[in-house]
Amino acid sequence: MLSGFGLVFVAVVVAWLAAFRPRAHVERSPAEERRFSLRWILGGGIVLPGVSILALLVFGVPTGQRMLPVTLPGETPPQVIEVVGHQWWWEIRYPGEQGDVVTANHLVMPAGEPVEFHVTSADVIHAFWVPRLGGKIDMLPGRTNRIRLEADEPGVFGAQCAEFCGVQHTHMHLHVEALPREEYEVWLDARRSPLPEDEAHAQARQDFIQHCAGCHRVAGLSDGERGPDLSDIGSRATLGAGVMAMEEGAIARWLATHQSLKPGNRMPSHDDLEDETLERLGAWLENLTP
Amino acid sequence: MLHRELELAWGSPAGLRGMLTVVNHGTLGLRFMVTGLVFFLLGGVLAMLVRTQLAFPDQDFMSPDVYSQVTTMHGTVMMFLFAIPVLEGLAIYLIPKMIGTRDLACPRLTAFGYWCYLFGGIILFSSLLLDMAPDSGWFMYTPLSSGEYSPGSGSDFWLLGITFVEISALSAGVELTVSILRTRASGMALHRMPLFAWYILAMALMIVVGFPPLILGSVLLELERAVGMPFFAVAGGGDPVLWQHLFWLFGHPEVYIIFLPAAGIVSTLIPVFAGRPMVGYGWIVASILITGFISFGLWVHHMFTVGIPQLAQAFFSAASMLVAVPTAIQVFVWLTTLWLGRPRMTLPMLWVLGFLVIFVCGGLTGVMLALVPFNWQVHDTHFVVAHMHYVLVGGMFFPLMAGLYYWLPLVTGRMPSESLGRLGFWLTFSGFNLTFLIMHWTGLLGMPRRIASYESAMGWDIYNLISSVGGFMMSAGIAVVLLDLALHGRFGRLAPRNPWCADTLEWAVATPPTSYTFASLPQVTSRHPLWEFPQLGESIRLGEHERAGAPHGRRELLGTDPLTGRVREIIHLPGNSVWPLAAALVLAVVCISLLVRLYPLALVAFVVAACMLLRWSWENGAHASATPLGDNEPSDPALHSRTPDGPGRWTMGVALLADGAFFLSLLFGWCYLWTVSPQWRMPDVSPLSLPMMIASGLALTLAASWLGRRCRAIVAGREEGLARAFAGIAALGGVHLLLLLTLAVQAALAPTDSAHDAVLWVGLAYLLVHATLATVLMLLQARRAALGLVSARLPFEPGVVLLFWRYHTGAYWILVAAIGVLPRVLGANA
Amino acid sequence: MSTPRRWPAPSHPLQLILGLSLWSLWFVVLYGGLSVACEMAPPEPSRGVFTAHNATLGLLSLATLGLLLWLAWSCLSASRRQEGVACYLSMVSAGLHLFSGGGVVVVGLPLLMLPPCL
Repeated sequence: MLSGFGLVFVAVVVAWLAAFRPRAHVERSPAEERRFSLRWILGGGIVLPGVSILALLVFGVPTGQRMLPVTLPGETPPQVIEVVGHQWWWEIRYPGEQGDVVTANHLVMPAGEPVEFHVTSADVIHAFWVPRLGGKIDMLPGRTNRIRLEADEPGVFGAQCAEFCGVQHTHMHLHVEALPREEYEVWLDARRSPLPEDEAHAQARQDFIQHCAGCHRVAGLSDGERGPDLSDIGSRATLGAGVMAMEEGAIARWLATHQSLKPGNRMPSHDDLEDETLERLGAWLENLTP
Repeated sequence: MLHRELELAWGSPAGLRGMLTVVNHGTLGLRFMVTGLVFFLLGGVLAMLVRTQLAFPDQDFMSPDVYSQVTTMHGTVMMFLFAIPVLEGLAIYLIPKMIGTRDLACPRLTAFGYWCYLFGGIILFSSLLLDMAPDSGWFMYTPLSSGEYSPGSGSDFWLLGITFVEISALSAGVELTVSILRTRASGMALHRMPLFAWYILAMALMIVVGFPPLILGSVLLELERAVGMPFFAVAGGGDPVLWQHLFWLFGHPEVYIIFLPAAGIVSTLIPVFAGRPMVGYGWIVASILITGFISFGLWVHHMFTVGIPQLAQAFFSAASMLVAVPTAIQVFVWLTTLWLGRPRMTLPMLWVLGFLVIFVCGGLTGVMLALVPFNWQVHDTHFVVAHMHYVLVGGMFFPLMAGLYYWLPLVTGRMPSESLGRLGFWLTFSGFNLTFLIMHWTGLLGMPRRIASYESAMGWDIYNLISSVGGFMMSAGIAVVLLDLALHGRFGRLAPRNPWCADTLEWAVATPPTSYTFASLPQVTSRHPLWEFPQLGESIRLGEHERAGAPHGRRELLGTDPLTGRVREIIHLPGNSVWPLAAALVLAVVCISLLVRLYPLALVAFVVAACMLLRWSWENGAHASATPLGDNEPSDPALHSRTPDGPGRWTMGVALLADGAFFLSLLFGWCYLWTVSPQWRMPDVSPLSLPMMIASGLALTLAASWLGRRCRAIVAGREEGLARAFAGIAALGGVHLLLLLTLAVQAALAPTDSAHDAVLWVGLAYLLVHATLATVLMLLQARRAALGLVSARLPFEPGVVLLFWRYHTGAYWILVAAIGVLPRVLGANA
Repeated sequence: MSTPRRWPAPSHPLQLILGLSLWSLWFVVLYGGLSVACEMAPPEPSRGVFTAHNATLGLLSLATLGLLLWLAWSCLSASRRQEGVACYLSMVSAGLHLFSGGGVVVVGLPLLMLPPCL
């Protein structure tokens, strides 16, 4: 398509330049002039765009059809993953019979098979887009849009909110990881089993219940829904929807300075908490890997 | 002698008084353009701020918050405060000259439009200086722009400021339409009209039909923000996608509203510099009409990712591709004209060539974007940013520069410099392509729009840096062009009369043009009057044509038949007036008091503004300060206020077209929310009382038909009991109004609780405003009839008011059917 | 040959916008009708394009196309008998009707290729 359009472009520009070229004026009779211009206007103004349009429609429309989220009778329905946009993070839900597995900003999907994403938004309009896997789809409050994507090979793909969604639109990245089917199952099962009791971090858990539980969920501990689910935060690649890489001490640093790392994000500043508390919380959260 | 006489009738008093009360199209057209260029420079500075921010990865030159304000304002300023007003200004300046008349048909409206534009622009731009600028993007998608997610005043600045500026666009649209249809030179039949006038006619009508959806959207969103009516909030039964429909229903035609006049410039220049008539006049006219219509069927291609069924998307996809056909026709007509002529490569033509290269490229990427699967991939990336700038800068800015250079000698009487001008062109042209050609790749590499920074790891560094360098190069080019323009006014070589050997009438006026434009009004017998009679300018100046001079002291021009250009009447125009400025000032007070949420003050100011506009309309027709009845009046043709059909009737008709577009948008919103909104709730029993609606409607219908009969009687020469009859009609209008008011009160709507009630509320408010206006206009007519300003000799005004009454009657019954009857027939759960 | 009297006459200036207005009207009915129909009674996805929705809209498109072609033909044949502004208007109108007909074909084409409500 690109080369075809390039050719048309070059041809038109060359024709124009040629028309400006100093040349001997050819005297034509009015009838000749009429024939000459009619030929050019019909050829360039009607036939050229007409043929291109028909070609594009005939080839282009069926391409879009293949991305339709339709399961015909006899086909196995694909894996469904729900994605909910928030200002400015992603909630990922894996529906299951014993309840959903919920995570945030880190999407794991099976490779080598179509996956159907059901997307919506909790606040403003966002758009779900994994550039290397296909087209984008808007995430609208009050509606659920569906799109089918397929990762041919296992791998890691970047994704970013594509619809302007406010001041931190820039920092709304999503880390997408495609795993072979078996590894995907293992990954999902690990998140279905309850987190082990961890005596070493008893104080941190207390702090969490006191300061964080109103907004954040950790499986088996709290049910806050305003912020990202933190049940497996230790296993994620980034913090703050792509603001910083997850490494040792990263969470404590994020907690202390997140309003300058990602100004305007919805988490209140934690100036009132002592550094010690933040570090304790960080150390525990980094350990939350199923 | 002739000059002095005309200057006395048409000139403005010296000093500040003259400057504030002037209504002349020449002065105001220039003001529109200069103000627009100032906003262009401001918008350009914002663009450079953006390119500075994006030049390197991980920059924090601006905070994300400021960056959002700057990008939002860049788009808003360029679209609403530069592109449209500048082109309107150009049309206002040129159209009367090109169609061989002395001024536009509604001169006070020109002035009113300018003041609204100026005040609206200042209010909108001041938000940036107050650090309160809108920051939800120039498309203002809800819910991001709603009260919940944008609690500051930014969105209010946008909604109120833009609506204020749009009043000016609508005024220009209405009066340009009427002027082109009704005041062309004698003999200028439709098929002899300059192509530029065809383009402007299409642009004006598109403004009239295309702007009201956005005005409605802005009103609804402002109501949601100010008082909480949930038109776009899902929880209340609204739908944010409705905003997108209303916005793009305006937004896509807007692109062609900008492109058509620019293409008009190209179509004017090409025959002149090819030295021969355009080869396919009819082809061009057909292309203009096709573009005008099809561009209203494309808006959904901005919404391909919203989740609309694929078949519906395919309709819009096909229509979007279809619009390439008329554009291709124009490109090849221009090409053939050049090919068959003897082209001269002058400075304006250089800009035309630049336009062609850039615009064809932008058009081709546009066709690609119309393809749904490709669109899903590049939508909201820098690819779209690049495409849009190719279309808008290529399709509007380059032809505009060509036009500025071409018409500069007409305005200043001096020629531009070829050397500095060429340098400016090449810098702008290469800077532009460097910036935006590269940006296509940045977009294909996945860089989304409107992000404030990016990481080096994404691999977009070098492309962004090149784009930024190109951006600054383009700015340098524009600076050189400005320098050239500034220098030429002082040092340019004096221009001979008709320096480019053009064919159209604007080159037959004096340079610089006088306030009265033409000393006598020429008759036109071909499409190329100046090629046919090169000495036309001289004979016009000597008063050898019709209506030479102004011995009566009136501002006069000829009203002609829209089709054949046969003279029908003599139009007398009002002189300088302070009312446009005063009314616009009070409207600015309305705008500011809404911004700071002083609603009582806003209401008072609104009523004051309405009174001022009515006062303005009072000084019309045979009023002592307009054209009182006299003994030595011309009878063949007669003065327009002595006939039943003058330009005022046409103005009312075109204005009602805009009103109708607003009304249809409202109906669309009602049907849309009803069928599609996810949490729409319809009450089981309609809160509107059907008998009351019918009673009120019968009173209205009775009054309107009475008025219609009375109007026919006046034209037939029967005028007895006119004042009393008009008072009776007004009284019936009052009954209609009262019943309507009772209906609204009885309905006990809860517009802040549900979108259903909110829409009903707006619908009833719409009817109430119209009913009030109809009644007041009728009362004024009764008074005028009593004063002898309306009579069998002066049959003009009731016909104008009748149009309004008929419109209101139609709108009333349609709305009653849509909100009162249809839900009862289909049931609440349909 | 006698000219049948009808409104608007082939050289009436409203002919210039008649064809495109019909196209717009058809377009609105096509899009609006589809949206409402999909909201009220969406067909089985497995039926593909062979649905009552596509068939109804397709017939409507054919009827519109027929009307536009007839208008184009009547304007064209009228233009041969006229001169001046009348000839010019009916000629351009004929072209516009023809284009509107083409527009119906191009925009209606997806009806043959896509299921209605997905």
